Amino acid sequence: MSRKSLKWLPALAVPALVAVGIVAIPLSAGAAVDLPDKTAKEVLLLVSESTEDSFSGTVTKTAELGLPDIDAVAGMGQSMGGSESGLSVEESTELVSSALELLSGTHEANVYVSGDSNVRVEVKADLARRTAVSNGTDAWYYDSESNVATHVAIPADLKSSSPEKLDGHADEMLTPPELADRLLTELEPTTEITVGTDARVAGRTVYELILTPKVSGTLAESVAIAVDSETGLPLQVTVSASGQEEPAFQVGFSSIDLSDPAADLFAYTPGDGVTVEEMPFPSPPPAGEHTPPTEDANGPTTIGSGWETIVALPAASSPESFADNPMLDQLTTQVDGGRLLSTSLLNVFLTDDGRVFAGSVTVDRLQAAANAQ
Amino acid sequence: MSSPDLATERRPGPGLDLLGSELSVLFRRRRTWAMLAAVALIPILLAVAVRLTASELDPGEGPPFLDRVTQNGLFVSFTATVVAIPLFLPLTIGVVAGDTIAGEAGLGTLRYLLVSPAGRLRLLLVKYTGAAAFCLAATLTLVVVGAVIGALLFPVGPVTLLSGETIGVAESVLRSLLVAAYVTVSLLGLCAIGLFISTLTTVPVGAMAATVVVSVVSQILGALPQLEWLHPWLFTQHWLGFAGLLSQPADLSAFGSNALLQTGYIAVFFALAYSRFATKDVLS
Repeated sequence: MSRKSLKWLPALAVPALVAVGIVAIPLSAGAAVDLPDKTAKEVLLLVSESTEDSFSGTVTKTAELGLPDIDAVAGMGQSMGGSESGLSVEESTELVSSALELLSGTHEANVYVSGDSNVRVEVKADLARRTAVSNGTDAWYYDSESNVATHVAIPADLKSSSPEKLDGHADEMLTPPELADRLLTELEPTTEITVGTDARVAGRTVYELILTPKVSGTLAESVAIAVDSETGLPLQVTVSASGQEEPAFQVGFSSIDLSDPAADLFAYTPGDGVTVEEMPFPSPPPAGEHTPPTEDANGPTTIGSGWETIVALPAASSPESFADNPMLDQLTTQVDGGRLLSTSLLNVFLTDDGRVFAGSVTVDRLQAAANAQ
Repeated sequence: MSSPDLATERRPGPGLDLLGSELSVLFRRRRTWAMLAAVALIPILLAVAVRLTASELDPGEGPPFLDRVTQNGLFVSFTATVVAIPLFLPLTIGVVAGDTIAGEAGLGTLRYLLVSPAGRLRLLLVKYTGAAAFCLAATLTLVVVGAVIGALLFPVGPVTLLSGETIGVAESVLRSLLVAAYVTVSLLGLCAIGLFISTLTTVPVGAMAATVVVSVVSQILGALPQLEWLHPWLFTQHWLGFAGLLSQPADLSAFGSNALLQTGYIAVFFALAYSRFATKDVLS
């Protein structure tokens, strides 16, 4: 080889080396993991016995629900005119688009948890952050774009009395093994629970608990829960939809640190210039109302059970402007007897007479349910 | 800066000599000073415009952080940085990086540089270091001038972070310097691309324009949602990603991934530049 052609070597070798690095580093991180075998019950036990309650990390959420792109939809909604009834079109458009924003695409958040009551979540966006802090006595929510901090004082008596007041089963405190047993028996008729291949999530080895519906015709194909093999912390939840290779919905840690986060992260003091809004603590419903809500004519009802549950809303319970919203028009398609909002995990069927049927089942089942009523 | 270096080194290598002369030529050029002055104009114009308008901005209106400027002058730095990153900084980097080799070739001074025993690799390294030093100078100008003009025209106090909490002035200076470091690192990949393009031609203006075009094209690709698979590999991807440095606690993960990405670009394009330059017949 001549001297000159040798000098071309770096131009080939360095890009090749970089390419190898790009391919090899994620591969080595995902190298095969082999953990001691566990049954589904043992993995559930691992979760319920987990004592790990202090950690910090980055949570990533991705959704591929097959919804239209949000930016385009939001832009469209903004250019539409106003409306006269109750909730204005702008407001309902904003509601729909913020709900859609959370449902689609990728979001990242930094999460800090210490003990039962100290939580700090920071949702990332380009050059903006939404921060929520709760330390058991005060809860704060701050949006850097609006520069408004919302403060809720948590009543002192809530924490001490809540377990008895809010939990109807307080007297039958279940031990972790009992809880695991109970979960298994409750799920057994509808769901097959298996332990998948061991893997790695956020650099930690995990068992994968896979829940698969025993019935056919549901949109959800399986739910996989990754459980940290050491601490029993659930690190990732993946929902797969039938006929879709990418997970329809996934939320999990992309990195995690099991040390106790600094205590001052949970003491929140808004700076000067921040608009502080006080909000009353939502009063808990009085004790005794924990029996299933009486089925009044305007409340939602459920049809079927397990994976095939269909939630039905009678006419006139949804704000009228939602039905008139031009954005909803763009999101839904015309089907027999109404309009359909279709995603890979959930179908929502809006009948022409204003009723709403939603469930993780195929359209014809929703239509059948609508016709049966 | 070179004299203490020379004093401590017993036998200064030709590389250090070369670097010293390269830096002094670069920073003695009127063009360099004109560009730094133009960079400094961005925060000054911003601050004066905000000072002269009576109407208060609604939160979230205008470029990021602009509504905070009236409350705290230190935010001028951040707004100016955000405004300058997409076009203005790449433009100045394009001029400096595109000029590195092509400029010498165009002036006919390249062969004299190569007469010295320094070697072509060393010349490339020195040229790249010079361009990188300009990146640092440009971002520091932006941040420092922004802070100074902000302090002159507006009240200065504890800085409200993106979490709504405040930090003291001393820590905010540290955060500003971190942002400057972040932006400098962001531009190093473009610098390497400019260096490579500069070895391809003897027409400096062509290399400068091509470098700027590359940065604009990369940003356009980054804005197309259809090309989402490509986005993590674009060198412009993390350019505006310094929000983590302004949150509480400071989140350095974006800094790390940005640095890794830029290192990849530097490695690839420096290797390409070396191979091209080492095999090139230098005629001028």
